[in-house]
Amino acid sequence: MLIIISIMVFVYILHGWKIQTRTNTVEKNVNKFIFESFQILTSEMNKMSTGLLLNITICFAIAVISLTFAWVLAKNKNLEKQNSKPTLYALITFWLLVAFTYYPTAFRMIAAYMNNAQVDILMYYIAAMPFAFVSVPMAYIIIYVITGNKQVSSYVSVIFAMFGISYLMLLVTNGVIEPVVTSWSSIISINSNIAINIYLLGLFIIPTAMILGIMLLILLRKISKRMRYHTVLLLVSISLVIDFMLTDMITTFDRMQIVARTFVLIGTVLAYLSYFPPLTLQEKLGIRQHKYEPFDEDEFMDSEDIDYV
Amino acid sequence: MSEGIDVEHEKKVAEFYQSLGINQGPGDIQYRIILLVLKKNEGKITEFAEIRAYTDQFADRGSIGSKMKSVFQLEGLAEKVQRGGYVITERGLIAANFLKYTSAFYKKTKSMQAMLDRLP
Repeated sequence: MLIIISIMVFVYILHGWKIQTRTNTVEKNVNKFIFESFQILTSEMNKMSTGLLLNITICFAIAVISLTFAWVLAKNKNLEKQNSKPTLYALITFWLLVAFTYYPTAFRMIAAYMNNAQVDILMYYIAAMPFAFVSVPMAYIIIYVITGNKQVSSYVSVIFAMFGISYLMLLVTNGVIEPVVTSWSSIISINSNIAINIYLLGLFIIPTAMILGIMLLILLRKISKRMRYHTVLLLVSISLVIDFMLTDMITTFDRMQIVARTFVLIGTVLAYLSYFPPLTLQEKLGIRQHKYEPFDEDEFMDSEDIDYV
Repeated sequence: MSEGIDVEHEKKVAEFYQSLGINQGPGDIQYRIILLVLKKNEGKITEFAEIRAYTDQFADRGSIGSKMKSVFQLEGLAEKVQRGGYVITERGLIAANFLKYTSAFYKKTKSMQAMLDRLP
């Protein structure tokens, strides 16, 4: 990136200098320099492909895992449990929103790869829509788990939805700054500080604080290892996803964006593991549920050890 | 009638402890109610009739009288100071304090269970 910028600056300076001097010798040298600069630029563009391709792959991976996870949850037998039904539906919605944020983002990266700024911006707007409402199901889950009141949870969710709507309105009215395509990513900045503030407060700080609060509440109580593993890992994964989605959306550094997306990917995998831990992990953590057969006393009635049983 | 003592709630708490295999003390509804009435009248004489006002809903007079003798008087949780009149002792206050903790534990456990039940 730095190399590209320095070359472009160099070419620009040389070009300006060319106009001022207007001598044939210098013009020849300048043309040679411009030609060489473009050669370097082309090689940089080739390098660019690798980073952007990796970015596209990560975005698709997040989208596919989130969508699959939402589908698996929808097929979950826990849906029969009346108490956890509303939160399970909210969780499904959350993962669907994550998937619908990252599908357009993946297409956005493809557009950046193909140097199509219009499609890039259009995809950014499409991705911003589900993203703005990511905190709504989260707020519903947390409030419902704490209070057990559907009505209160719905009201709190509406407040978060309003945060999302105001963010979208500011985003649409103020617009975004043209995308900067780098070797790793395509960076689009929001042209409004208020939108970023709403975004930080409504979509990041409050939901994260809520998640951490409920996690602390659960960790302080004595519950089974298996339950603790499931709950804590699920909450940590959601927190990771929300936090790094925010970093992904507001960062102006391409590498930070790709790191943030990697963490979102890790978050989605962790969420999956919270529901379906592998057998080796279950054994290691001591959370494996063994299915024992009930002991039949009649079988041992004739045994000579009967007096000791 | 109830004046701070919720018989139905105490019944639920006692049933919870019974489900854990604790049938005496915190798991005994008669014990809970008698102790709570005695604690309520700390420093005053508690009439047997007042205890019965709460316990008549689930126990007969004889079993309450027997409980007063075999548990409360025998263990020194209450002293009989007149015919049908009892006062709570220091030991009885400790027992009442313990009962308060058992109620808090019940509340905590139930709320936690409900919270975990609501988790997706």
